[in-house]
Amino acid sequence: MQRLDGYAGKILRINLTDSSTEELSTWDYLPDYIGGRGICNKIFWDEVPKGVGAFDPENKLIFMTGPTTATGIPTGGRAVMTGISPCTLPEQYSYGSIGGWIGTVLKYAGYDGFILEGKAPAPVYLLIEDDKVQFLDASPIWGQVVSVTQESIRLAHGADIHSMVIGPAGEHLHRNASITTSNDNTFARAGFGAVFGSKNLKAMAFRGSGKIKAADMEKVFELRKTVGRPERQPNPPVMRESMGHVSNSFPHQWKNGSYACSPGCNSRCQRLLMDSKSPFTGGKVSQTEKCVSVLAFNYTYEHPWGASLFVLDEKNPRTLGQQKSFPHGPDKTDPDWEICSEVYKGDRMDLWGPDFDRGALMMELANEYGIDKWEMIIHYFTWLAMAKKEGLLTDLDFGMEVDVENPAFVRHFIDSMTYRTGIGDIFAEGMARAIRTLGKEKYGDTIYQGRVNQDGVRLDIPVSLEAAWGYSAHWQGRGFQSTPKWLWVANALNTMVNTRDCFNSGHMHVTPDDVRQFLADGPSYSDLLIQRVMENEGASMIKDSVTTCEWQSPDIVWHDMELQMYQAATGDDSMTKEKLDEFAVRSRLLYRAILMRNFGRCRDLEAENVYPFLTYPDPWGEVDTWDEWNDTVDRYYKANHWDPATGWPYRETWERYGLKDVADEMEKLGMLPSPGQAYQRKPDPSVRQEV
Amino acid sequence: MAKHIEKAPLEYSMCTGCVSCEMVCSMVHEGYVSPQTKRLFFKAGPVKTMLHEIYTCQQCDDHPCYEACPKKDEAMCIDENGIVYVNEKNCIGCGKCAKACKFTPSRIHVVKSKDKEERKAKKCDLCRTRPEGPACVQWCPFMCLAVSDRLPWEERQETDQS
Repeated sequence: MQRLDGYAGKILRINLTDSSTEELSTWDYLPDYIGGRGICNKIFWDEVPKGVGAFDPENKLIFMTGPTTATGIPTGGRAVMTGISPCTLPEQYSYGSIGGWIGTVLKYAGYDGFILEGKAPAPVYLLIEDDKVQFLDASPIWGQVVSVTQESIRLAHGADIHSMVIGPAGEHLHRNASITTSNDNTFARAGFGAVFGSKNLKAMAFRGSGKIKAADMEKVFELRKTVGRPERQPNPPVMRESMGHVSNSFPHQWKNGSYACSPGCNSRCQRLLMDSKSPFTGGKVSQTEKCVSVLAFNYTYEHPWGASLFVLDEKNPRTLGQQKSFPHGPDKTDPDWEICSEVYKGDRMDLWGPDFDRGALMMELANEYGIDKWEMIIHYFTWLAMAKKEGLLTDLDFGMEVDVENPAFVRHFIDSMTYRTGIGDIFAEGMARAIRTLGKEKYGDTIYQGRVNQDGVRLDIPVSLEAAWGYSAHWQGRGFQSTPKWLWVANALNTMVNTRDCFNSGHMHVTPDDVRQFLADGPSYSDLLIQRVMENEGASMIKDSVTTCEWQSPDIVWHDMELQMYQAATGDDSMTKEKLDEFAVRSRLLYRAILMRNFGRCRDLEAENVYPFLTYPDPWGEVDTWDEWNDTVDRYYKANHWDPATGWPYRETWERYGLKDVADEMEKLGMLPSPGQAYQRKPDPSVRQEV
Repeated sequence: MAKHIEKAPLEYSMCTGCVSCEMVCSMVHEGYVSPQTKRLFFKAGPVKTMLHEIYTCQQCDDHPCYEACPKKDEAMCIDENGIVYVNEKNCIGCGKCAKACKFTPSRIHVVKSKDKEERKAKKCDLCRTRPEGPACVQWCPFMCLAVSDRLPWEERQETDQS
């Protein structure tokens, strides 16, 4: 492969079992796999066979940057980690993406990524300084919470060291354990913190002194200017009078700041909660309070949201990917304004009322113990609240009275599952596994009677907000965000072929005209909707590979943004939008190949996993029937050139994207379907035949 | 002190920690990004504060860095506007300028390299040859940086008071 700018050129293999390292050439994976998830998928496919579990030493965590990382290209600071996830139900290959400094500093040290394999005989942490890798004794920091671990590493190795660490939750193999960087970004949703713990790996610390060169510096500056729209402006912290959004808002004085998670980001995330009180030190801490964290403070209603997060219009000031307002403000005469500006307040849930201190405690404990905030708030505590109200918890011993509004209980419960004491040992297995241990029919499927929509109509919702693959609801139409049917059907498809909550970079991007067409077709029968889902999946793969940040990059109105970034970084002018899209399909196919070969992925598994949650009504009473859902799945598989009977791609599909070797392997495994294979749709497996 | 780069007070604009300043500094001077070649220094705040510092050369009137340079006027130079800058062609990377800097941390960085030719002092020169002025000021997305004789936050303060 001809060498390209933008890359460091090496990938570091780290074997924790024998403390050895090896350098691989990044060029072996280029240009076909770009970087990020593209290269991760290829390495995993090549190196990890069927039968490996999340906590086995043979599981590999693969971390990759993209060619934009550390070049000065805005939003390019992001990086990706993949491996077998312990929190996915069942355990499967999964991924996470992250901001922060690690990717950039790793490239300064000379590496585009690293592969972690094996298991250290005793707790270690790694110190990577340029080409020098040290395996250091972690016993002094083993058992420490996240911030103490970070500070210990800074004290030991200097203030300019960058680290990513686990807390006690990862050490105790809590399946939702996170990995936290020294500027408080996390790999959280895939539970990779527990994989660190299983490998006796407490932390990794990085310092690099090398250089990364973008091919076209003039273009890099042009990109900085374009992505940075509108013009520069000061950024003072401001005092706010209320917490939360729209219906969940409550009076509270707090200081709101902005931060940028990654080197080179020229935008900002605007929900830094400054100077809140730490339950550990009593001192002041600043932490991000984005999206889901809002509900830690008040879960009276579902998370409210604006259609503009998903529905794009050039004149609309706040589409996803353009967090800043346009200088001229919204054009309310625009006929699309109504569709873009709609705000969904969400159903009333009455899970817990406003309490700033309790919410701050919940967030701080998640940060310090290293637990995925999302599952903590949306799965564990919603379940505790709903199950308590439905009288399900009387036979379970939590060690104190279950009361999600009592800070003492919040702390007690999070402590118990972090350290696996008492009943916490069950919950440390993740909410989905805990519910199955306790008995899913009673503890998972019992209907919570307290959900009421905006018109005052009570609607069914189960006490467990599990949507798919063990993950709690996220843009699934009920429980957390009250999305209309066209959006939750699209998201259900995206989730179906995934292994995790796919909204790290996978939010749908559509136009007002698209929405009109979805509604005209009927969401379950819209070919355009299928097409948009596939495009969106491709865009997500490209973002996670090039790499860019979905929340800051305006590609929704700038369709070749990632292409321009890739070209500016690498100088590879032979790359085209078509080739980048082709890469996205190739990488998605390889992801599918891994899921098929290693985890037996097939249609029945996918369609049945996602379906149960779709049988509960959305705020407008809409559900999917088994036939509707399967019709949608049929169309989706066909559009991908996969066999609708099995969900497996045809040989021609693999080969079209340069994956003949994968097709051959699938043939050996008996997973290579022939076109036209007859398919007998299974009967509805749902326990909920009527809604 | 002669004019120099200053960081805005928090009340005017909060540094988000994007380090665009460090990156563009390296980009305009070297044509690539490297922590070794920045000429101003971002220091992340203590864990969980998100309050960051940016350290810059103050262009001292008594310029001890210039005085300490063994190749004064060849390596460490002062231009017609009083800007102390490094002529890298003649810099031998001895580090005496960095040690002589009166500030902690030193506002001069000497590149560490196995290659002797790469060992050069890196110091803010206010981008003295750029028509647009200092790149860090131009590209800070949040206007956290300014040249000391053009401080927007002081102008705003005056406006507020009036």
